[in-house]
Amino acid sequence: MRILAVDDDPIILELLGQFVEIIGAHELTTAPSALHAVDMLGDPNLGPVDCFMLDIQMPGMDGIELAQHIRNSSRHADTPILMLTAMSDKRYIDGAFAAGATDYVTKPFEIAELKSRIGLVEGMVKERQQRTKKIFAAKTVADQATHMELFEPVPIYDVDNVIDYTAMENYVAQLSRSALFGSTAFAFAIREVDAFHATMTSFEFYSLVSDVAEILSDTLVDHQVLMSYAGNGTFVCVTESGWRPNMGGLMDAVNFELSQTELFDNYGERVYPRVSAGEAVRLIWKSGNSVMDALAQAHASAESASVAHTRSLNDFWQNDQQA
Amino acid sequence: MLAELPGIERIRKRFVDMLAERQTQIASHGLAAWDATTVEEIKGNLASAQAILHQIAGSAGSLGFEELGRMARNCETQIVEHLAGPTANRAECPIEIISELDGFVAKCRQEIDAHA
Repeated sequence: MRILAVDDDPIILELLGQFVEIIGAHELTTAPSALHAVDMLGDPNLGPVDCFMLDIQMPGMDGIELAQHIRNSSRHADTPILMLTAMSDKRYIDGAFAAGATDYVTKPFEIAELKSRIGLVEGMVKERQQRTKKIFAAKTVADQATHMELFEPVPIYDVDNVIDYTAMENYVAQLSRSALFGSTAFAFAIREVDAFHATMTSFEFYSLVSDVAEILSDTLVDHQVLMSYAGNGTFVCVTESGWRPNMGGLMDAVNFELSQTELFDNYGERVYPRVSAGEAVRLIWKSGNSVMDALAQAHASAESASVAHTRSLNDFWQNDQQA
Repeated sequence: MLAELPGIERIRKRFVDMLAERQTQIASHGLAAWDATTVEEIKGNLASAQAILHQIAGSAGSLGFEELGRMARNCETQIVEHLAGPTANRAECPIEIISELDGFVAKCRQEIDAHA
């Protein structure tokens, strides 16, 4: 795996060189500043980069701006980004994830932690290499033959505050190590998503999910929310801002925006997606796995609400016919 | 585990060499903040000292200088909290920060002497 590490401290770059050497067969390339890294990334002779490691606090351009720059390039839209964070950088972690970070490693480094993080990234790189064609198929109108699984948590690109599902899991894991007092997890599920999936091409389905993501992002824009597509038409969201979401009101707001947005399939037929909202699960006094369980609880409750909504409609029509 | 790294001694030596320069910079920024009469000068010098402390805090622990790294982090945290706090716009530098920086610079000198 080829890693590009960016840090303004030459000691950190030297240490990373040593650590990466003993961890495994990886190649480390370094840049002493974010601006230097931008120049390197613009060089066609740079060659492929499989993983980025970015310091957060750097003079000129910081690591969060650099992460945004990396994510804006189609070449590295889903290349894993590990942020190198010191204790005092914790206040920037949310911004780093929102900018596209996949995970973070704490400074000063411990070999075991670094090894574990790089191992996870290596697994992601291999997995992504296998599904790269599939993702590009979803992004390219020309090739619609590749199948996108209903339960696949595909990355959604270019929507503010929407992060990769793996990054969301890492983000929630870091929440478990910090104050959870003001944090809440909640989720939305696209109703009858299986019907959309069954009748649409991969491109159409991906576009539908992206459009719903955009409307959710717009609706939640004032509340410091990070969200992620978890597959099966479900979006999981986490806010750390202390905001207590009113799920009924939010669901109505999202569905109102969906009703005002004209969405079409490839045949020019209008499609009418609507969402159901699950319960808002507060993360206070949870830690470790129970934080992950809370995310799963929010996720499951949105899917249950979606199923219950569909069932209630079916029951309504059956009762109507019997009457 | 640290000792297993083949080039660790070379990096430790470079760290100590850089520490001599860094502690001088931190001391001069601290003094300049203490002597300053405007909010901008105080904030600017404290932010410059914080940036250097941030680098030391990030690497010292990995090189076996745990106490130095902890002290750098404490100084950095004090500066960050001051700059984000309600007294940041007063034209006076808190004595607590200068005192903490003084202790840190003394520790730097100890480490430099020990590795001379």
